[in-house]
Amino acid sequence: MDFFLQLVFAGICVGAAYALIAMGLSLTFWTTKTLNFGQGSLLMLGAVALTALMAAGLHVALAVPMALLGTGALMVLVERVAIRPLLGSEESMGWVVSTLGLGFFVQGFVAKFFGSQAISVPSIVFESTSFVSIAGVQVSAQSLSVLVVSTALMLGMEIFLRVSPWGRAVRAVAHDEAAASLAGIPVRRVVVLSFIASGILAGLAGVLLSQINGTVDPAFGFNLMVFGFVAAVFGGMGSVRGAMVGGIALGVIEKLVGGYLSSAFESAIAFAILMVILVWRPQGLFGQAEINKV
Amino acid sequence: MNVRIVGGIVAASALAFVLAVRPAVAQETIKIGMTSALTGPYNEYGEGGKRGVDLAIANWNARGGINGKKIELAMALDDQLVPDRAVQNMRKLLDNKDLAGFIGPAGSGPTLAVIDMAAADGRPYMNPIAQSPTVTYPGGGKPTANVFSFALQNDVEAKVLASYVAKRFKKVGLIHESTAYGAGGADLIGKELKLQGGAQVVGLESYNQRAQDMTAQLAKLQRTGADVVMCVGLGADLAVLRRTMARLNFSVPLVASNGALSIPYQEGAGDLVLGTRGTMIGVFGEQPMNPAAKEFAEAYKAKYGADRWWGSDPSRPQIFMALSVSNAYDAANVLLEGIKRANSTDPMAVNKAIEGITSLRGVNAVYSFSPAKHHAITEQDVAVFEYAKVGDKSQLRVAKD
Repeated sequence: MDFFLQLVFAGICVGAAYALIAMGLSLTFWTTKTLNFGQGSLLMLGAVALTALMAAGLHVALAVPMALLGTGALMVLVERVAIRPLLGSEESMGWVVSTLGLGFFVQGFVAKFFGSQAISVPSIVFESTSFVSIAGVQVSAQSLSVLVVSTALMLGMEIFLRVSPWGRAVRAVAHDEAAASLAGIPVRRVVVLSFIASGILAGLAGVLLSQINGTVDPAFGFNLMVFGFVAAVFGGMGSVRGAMVGGIALGVIEKLVGGYLSSAFESAIAFAILMVILVWRPQGLFGQAEINKV
Repeated sequence: MNVRIVGGIVAASALAFVLAVRPAVAQETIKIGMTSALTGPYNEYGEGGKRGVDLAIANWNARGGINGKKIELAMALDDQLVPDRAVQNMRKLLDNKDLAGFIGPAGSGPTLAVIDMAAADGRPYMNPIAQSPTVTYPGGGKPTANVFSFALQNDVEAKVLASYVAKRFKKVGLIHESTAYGAGGADLIGKELKLQGGAQVVGLESYNQRAQDMTAQLAKLQRTGADVVMCVGLGADLAVLRRTMARLNFSVPLVASNGALSIPYQEGAGDLVLGTRGTMIGVFGEQPMNPAAKEFAEAYKAKYGADRWWGSDPSRPQIFMALSVSNAYDAANVLLEGIKRANSTDPMAVNKAIEGITSLRGVNAVYSFSPAKHHAITEQDVAVFEYAKVGDKSQLRVAKD
C-alpha cells in the first residue's frame, strides 16, 4: 500500500508541474489561438535568471519576482515579433516556426553567457531533503510546493475569469475577437496581458521545477514543455481545470506504469493510454467540442 | 608567343615544382592531428584533451624533439562530440598524408563512428576517453593493430565497481541509463558480481538520459530491500537519482561509475554528494603524486593556471583531470615515444614500437602494451573514491572502510 501511495503522490506532484506548464500554454491559446512553442526556453530562462540574480547577491524575495517579470516581459516580445506579424492570414502556421525559433534563440543566448553545462540552482524555500509525511508516506516539500502553487493558481484563475471584468474581457476575446472589439473591449491590451501572464507562469514553473532538479542548463524545459502540451490537450485545450486534471492524470499514470509494469516504458505506455482516451473524447476531458456552423 | 606569357608559364611551373617538393621539406617536423569536442557542452573533455596534447608536444620540443625533428599539432578539428562531424573531421585528417598519427574524439558515440576508417588507414590512432572496449577490441578478442586506448574501459570499471561492492554489501539495486553505455555497463557489473559471489542483484531498473524524476524506479529498488544502489550513468542524471533517493528517504549508499566524480554531479546534488562513491583513475588521489603526474601538474599550472580543468584546490589537480587532460597527455606521449623508438613515421613500424613499450611511467599509469593488449588503464590504476566531509566542505578521497 505504501508503495502504491508513494507512486500516486509522486505522480500527483510531477503532474502538477505539467499542469502549471499547460496553464501557461492555455492562456495564449484563449486570446490568439496560438501556442508558444518556446515555452520550454522560458522555463529555463526563469531558473537561470533566478540563479544569476541570487549569485549577484539579491535576496530571494526580490530575485524571484524579478526573474518572473523578466520572463513576462519576454513574452511581450514574443507576441510582437513571433505572433502578431504572422497572424495576418488565417491559414498561416508561421507562428509555430517563429515561436520555436525564438525558443532556440533564448537557448543559444543562455549557452553563450552562462555556458552549456548544468549550473546549480540555489534552494529558495525548501531543501531537497525536507519532507512532509502524508498517510505514512514521505512526500518531498519541494514537490509538494509545486502542487500547492499550481492548485492555488488554478483556483485563482478560475475565479479571475468568472468574476473580474478583465477575466470577462479575456473570455469575450476568446469567444469572438471581432465582437469583443465592437463591444469596446481593448482587445490588443487583453492579448498582450495574456502573454505577460503566460510568461510569468512559465517563469514560475521553471523556478519551482529547477528546485526539484537542482540544476538548470540551456536544454532544460524542452521535455517538460512537451509533457505540458500533452497535459493541455488531454485535459482540453484552453481549460484551466482540464490542464490541472490532465497534468495530474498524466503524472499518475506515468508513475503507476513505471512502478507496476516497466520503468523503461513509463512514458510510452502513458502516452498510449492517453491516445486511447483521446480517441474516445477528441476534445479532451474538459474541452468543448468544436462546432462549425455552416 | 608573348615573352611575358612564357615567363609566366616558367614561373608557374617553378612554383608547382616547389609545391611538389614541399612535403619532403615538411617531413622535418613530425605532424599529428586530432578531432575532439573543442567547443560545445562537452568541451570539458575536448578542450581539456587538446591542452593535454599541446603540453606533451611542448615538453618533447623543449627536450629537442624526436631525433632533431620538431613536433607539431598540425590539425586540431572541432566535432562537438557529434558523430557526423567527427566522421567529416576524420576524413580530413586521414586525407592529410603528412600526419603521422591521430588522437580521436572525446566519447564513444563519435569514436565508434570513426574507428573503422581509422583502422583501415593503418596509421596509429590513440583513443583518449571512449569507454567502450569495442573501440580497441572490435570482436572482443584481438585488438585492432593501430588502435590504442587510454580510456577507463567499461569492463575495467565494472570489475572494480563489482569487487568493491561484493566485499561490502549483500543486496544490490542496480540502475542504469538506457543507452548502450548504461545497459552494457550494468550487464558487465551483473556478470562480475555473480563471478565474485557475496552480493546479489535484487533489482534492475533503467532510466532515460535527462529524466526529471526517478521515483518509480527507486521506489521499486527500495521495496526489494537493497542495501546499496549501483548506477552506470552520467553526472547530471546521477544528481537527479541522488535527489530522488533523498526524497524517498532511501538512505543506502550510492556507488556509481565515474560520472559520480564529475562537476555536473557535484553541482546538481549539492550537499547530498556526501557518502557517494565512484570509480576513477586513481592518480590524482595518490599521496604523494607519482613523478610524471607532478611534472604534468606543474606544467599545466604554469601554462593555464588553476582553472576549471584544474579544480578548486590550488595545491593539487582535481581527480577528474585524469579523464579530461592527462589521459590525452599520456596518449600523445605514447604516440611520440613510439615514433621515437621506430625512428620513423612508417605506420607499421610505429604501431609495432608502441606494442613493444613496457613499464613506461605515464601520468595515469605505468604503460605496458603487447600485440594482444592495446588498452592502457587496468584495474590496479583505478580507485574507488568517496565524498567525505572536511571542515564544512565535501572532499573526494580514496574510499576506506
